[in-house]
Amino acid sequence: MQSGRFDSVGVDVVAYGAFILAILLLPLFLDDPFWLNRIAKYLVYGMLGVAIALSWGYAGILNLGQGLFFGMGAYMVAMSLKLQSSTSLQQGSDSPVPDFMLWNAQPGAPTELCCISPSSFLWLPFQAQWFGAVMALVVPVVIALALSSAIFRLRVSGVYVAIITLASVLLVRLLIVDAQPLTNGFNGLTDLGWLTVAGFEFDPYLTQTYYIVAVSLSLVLVLTRVLVGTRAGLILQSTRDDPNRARYLGFDVAAYQIFFFTVSAGIAGFAGMLYVIAAEFASPSFMDLAFSITMVVWAAVGGRSSLLGACIGAILINTIEATASESEMFQEAWRAIIGLIFILVVLFLPRGLAGVGQDLTARLIGMARRPSAAPDRQASRDAAE
Amino acid sequence: MADILFIGLSLSSILLLIALGLSITYGAMGVINMAHGELVMIGAYTAVLAGIYLNLNLFLSLPLAFATSAALGLLIERLVIRRLYGRIIDTLLATWGVAILLQQAIRLEFGLSFFDIHIQGLGTGLQNISVPAFLTQPFDFAGMTIQPYRSFIILVTLLLTLLTWFLFYRTRIGMQVRAIMRNPQIAAACGIDVRRVSALTFAYGSGLAGVAGVLLAGFKTVQPDMGTSVVVDGFLVVVVGGVGSLIGTIFASLLLGQINGIIAVLSNDILARAVVFGVVIVLIMWRPKGLFSFRGR
Repeated sequence: MQSGRFDSVGVDVVAYGAFILAILLLPLFLDDPFWLNRIAKYLVYGMLGVAIALSWGYAGILNLGQGLFFGMGAYMVAMSLKLQSSTSLQQGSDSPVPDFMLWNAQPGAPTELCCISPSSFLWLPFQAQWFGAVMALVVPVVIALALSSAIFRLRVSGVYVAIITLASVLLVRLLIVDAQPLTNGFNGLTDLGWLTVAGFEFDPYLTQTYYIVAVSLSLVLVLTRVLVGTRAGLILQSTRDDPNRARYLGFDVAAYQIFFFTVSAGIAGFAGMLYVIAAEFASPSFMDLAFSITMVVWAAVGGRSSLLGACIGAILINTIEATASESEMFQEAWRAIIGLIFILVVLFLPRGLAGVGQDLTARLIGMARRPSAAPDRQASRDAAE
Repeated sequence: MADILFIGLSLSSILLLIALGLSITYGAMGVINMAHGELVMIGAYTAVLAGIYLNLNLFLSLPLAFATSAALGLLIERLVIRRLYGRIIDTLLATWGVAILLQQAIRLEFGLSFFDIHIQGLGTGLQNISVPAFLTQPFDFAGMTIQPYRSFIILVTLLLTLLTWFLFYRTRIGMQVRAIMRNPQIAAACGIDVRRVSALTFAYGSGLAGVAGVLLAGFKTVQPDMGTSVVVDGFLVVVVGGVGSLIGTIFASLLLGQINGIIAVLSNDILARAVVFGVVIVLIMWRPKGLFSFRGR
């Protein structure tokens, strides 16, 4: 299935280039801050699609707990931004104190971040915004590294990886809900300040904020595409297709799986950070089972084995959903349609929209070069897989 | 102490009730049916509707819910799952789509709410079913307070487990199911109608979900998304117990139910569930095949 990729590098350059150009030029044509902000969120979802495609499509690891990394990234940066918000700054204390900590404080507790509740000192370093931003990458990566090391060194594989990651995200979700004094529990972190870099405040509805997301997504797309084309990426794909053969050839299968699982988690954490900047909240619902599976749905519809396909799948589904959600009734019906689309894609289009696109371009290129049956051969090989 | 064990036992019985159907569809057929929770939900709604329109009480709703969910399961098997045997991850994804469809079918009253026709008992709202009075009065027995409804659930779960065991290990079709579990090709070569037996097995597992739904409806509010949380618990029980092992499923539900009950008494419900997830993660990492996996070929 991947062998077709070598001669399609040129096609990929065109496709990725066109997509990146499109998202970078969009603000020129879309003069509606509300929609621009919405699209920025969907680009973040697109980044999640890339993360899923990387681990699922290229590594064969179905991670049903990607929400864990997205959520950790989101919470880390949200903690920093929470301390920047005017309500936190105006509590009449030397250090900013989140409003919910005051509501939950024991009578007579000092209104300082260090000691208002027994665990509130953990928030202290988040007064520096860069700390939250760095932690938004470090925490997901460290958790992913620990989790995937345990999973892949023990040679857990296939559906059991999916179940372990699923249980992990639900476990962390419960811990966050339970740690009410530290995390505001079910309510999540709302009323956040804006990201401020060198004195410039990134209001979520500014075009500059859209560009943060769009440029980040472009970088992630290009870097992951380059990464899967490297020697390491090719070895990874061999471990997906036949882990035992890769092992007998002397490759440390677990090391490759751990590396790509962690990269995927890091991208998800990065996406979580960007989402908070654009959406101004972090909530335990990021770690709901439904959200983690929905990400997989986007990737499957777009094409699980194509980074760009999964990305476009996520953006497309969400944009249509937003257009459809003008009336509440239609929104509900849209969810049913999504369910149906998903069943049909799994049954009849296992490679998603990207698969359709690849077949079409392969056919076009084939026709242009020589009218032979080469694309059909590849299509039948893909179908057999 | 006996009180705590009873709470744990009661939690275990609910876990087992959900997991019993899954251990058949997942364990015996290798299908991760994410719509299992929605079959539970359909069972609960069957009881709600039967109560409103047919004036049936909880007991009489049980066979009706079994039949409804089993028929629906048969339909799902025919339309979706039949094409996906052997592609376990794809069954998970496709049945997630089925789950969304079923939830929306209830929310939108099968699409009728578009035409402003509303069916009492369906829709987005919360529903309840009434439990017969003699099952709601707690009574004292041997120095502890017995919740009759909880005891009733334990009893029904016990009966269903026995029935399932009997079907699997003492009937002809059960033997065929176990043969298919071990090796579908050889089973087919021996003259077993694999498609028909698989469809029936799936329908039986789905029917059990319907029964679980009625019993859950007795102490939980009935709503369209009630199934999502139970299906995860059910899966964890089946995987921890060992795919395809009835004993394993029973043991795992007892273990996880008791852990949940004891931690819940010591701290709180949320933490108890978190601990259960933690235990499950460690157990699956330690023995991915489950505690009681049968030896393969």
